Amino acid sequence: MGEPIIDVRDLRKTFRVTERQEGLAATLRSFVRRQRRDVNAVAGITFRIEAGEVVGFLGPNGAGKTTTLKVLSGLLYPTAGEAHVLGFVPWRRENAYLQQMTLLMGNRTQLVWDIPAADSFRVLQEIYGVPDESFRRTVGELTELLELQDLVHKPVRNLSLGERMKVEFAAGLIQSPRVAFLDEPTIGLDVSMQSRIRRFVAEYNRRTGATILLTSHYMDDVVALCRRVIVIHHGHLLYDGPLADLAERMAPYKIITATLRDGAAATIDLAAYGTVTGRDEGRVTLKVDRQGAPERAARLVNELGENLADISVEDPPIEEVIDRVFSEERVGTAT
Amino acid sequence: MRYLRLLALFFRTELQYELEYRTNLALEIVQIVVIITTSVGAVLILFNYTTVLNGWDLGAMLVLLGCFYLVQGFGELVLQPSFEKFMEHVRLGTLDFALLKPASAQFLVTLRNFQVVQLGQMGLGAVVAIVGLGRISTLGPGEAVAFAVALVCGFVLIYALLLALSTFAFWFVRIDNLMAIYWSFLDAGRFPVDIYPGWLRVTLSTAVPVGVAVTLPAQAISGRLDLFGLAVLVVGSIAAFILSSLFWRVGLRSYTGASA
Repeated sequence: MGEPIIDVRDLRKTFRVTERQEGLAATLRSFVRRQRRDVNAVAGITFRIEAGEVVGFLGPNGAGKTTTLKVLSGLLYPTAGEAHVLGFVPWRRENAYLQQMTLLMGNRTQLVWDIPAADSFRVLQEIYGVPDESFRRTVGELTELLELQDLVHKPVRNLSLGERMKVEFAAGLIQSPRVAFLDEPTIGLDVSMQSRIRRFVAEYNRRTGATILLTSHYMDDVVALCRRVIVIHHGHLLYDGPLADLAERMAPYKIITATLRDGAAATIDLAAYGTVTGRDEGRVTLKVDRQGAPERAARLVNELGENLADISVEDPPIEEVIDRVFSEERVGTAT
Repeated sequence: MRYLRLLALFFRTELQYELEYRTNLALEIVQIVVIITTSVGAVLILFNYTTVLNGWDLGAMLVLLGCFYLVQGFGELVLQPSFEKFMEHVRLGTLDFALLKPASAQFLVTLRNFQVVQLGQMGLGAVVAIVGLGRISTLGPGEAVAFAVALVCGFVLIYALLLALSTFAFWFVRIDNLMAIYWSFLDAGRFPVDIYPGWLRVTLSTAVPVGVAVTLPAQAISGRLDLFGLAVLVVGSIAAFILSSLFWRVGLRSYTGASA
């Protein structure tokens, strides 16, 4: 493998924040003398991302995801540590670097509210110095992939949230970047728009080979797009590895779902096989120890015999795994 | 060259936007005409009772008034809308986008928005200045060049001052009041800076150089600004531009976006 596209070593960012108690008196006190406190938003993280990868960056609110993206895109100076993206030090904000990257934020817009997006695209073309020929081709491709058509000719304020996000994506990709940082790209969108944005990101990555680092609160985004995830919490790296292994590493249990035949559910107590976590008519879900799962499932099949209509053994849902990770802060790296 | 093309493009997109709201456009034009005719009227009434105001006769006063509207028009054409937008960007965190473009962020932010209709104010200002000039008639090529240079310096001074003021937004976020104070100071520029009492004259010439920005071009066009004065103005404007740009960069370092 060649040089990594993104190379982060022991990156740290500390913010100095002003603290204030509630109430007028406290506000006045704070007006005169500010109480300050240091917050370690990013507390030493290290990872590398190769060309063409789509990596999910996970963590609860305030974990340090956006801060990391801002450092990598060049908006923030880190307090310590190193980072290289495409061989550049991001926070030097060299034009050669900015030309090849994009930062898309789901909750902010760079489009001018009162004019059609097509006009904003022209301005971006000029800023990035994109030749007419490739500008037309890129806009044509983006229009097709995102189904923009007439959306770009309406003033942005007349677009729905989902439509605006699609146009926002197009605006962020006018310069055909080699690296894209996506911060909550599907936030606030309805389910079908979310899945369209996902399909677009996957297709864009396939067509252009762009490297993508994405944060999202929607696990569906991550499951659909990322084979690899990086999990951070309180600024520390908790996990870096394949999404498929996350459950195995982070959740030491499996879920057995047993469907019982009519009537049997009332008489059979399944608590002996594992912790009963759900019961819906004949369907019972059990949480069992990961290692013991095959043996428990076999016993269920043997002992329930005729009374068992169906049985499945699965990893817990990814949301549950993540939730568990964040509430327990287990440390482990899969590299 | 690239920046000039960008500037033209910014101007065109904003023009398109204003043309969408025709009624608003018409009302703004009416407003400009009313304001300028009343202030010209006021000067005319004043000169019914006197022929000279501290060395400024009617012609010179009209030239000064014309310059005032040229400078103020420039401020309202591009600076006021751009700087207002800039402070909004700081508040909302959308300044991030400008910082991530492969071009001067200062340029992209501070010369980005236009109120195209203010070209009308500048045009009317030019008319008033020319009428005033007709009464003085000392305009040779030397004065014309000196005037153009002094006017550009006036624009640069106003720009530098606004840039320095708006930089405080990086620390205090809301500084609308500060800007309002500035605009009211600019109003003082419609009279020659030397008619004001000493302390105010010093303020208007140094800390808030609106007086200089208006008075000196008017003096230049009426042949009352010598080469030395012009040189001081040019050097001063360049220095103001460089210092305010440096200050802006210092401010930028404290900018962390609306949420980090």
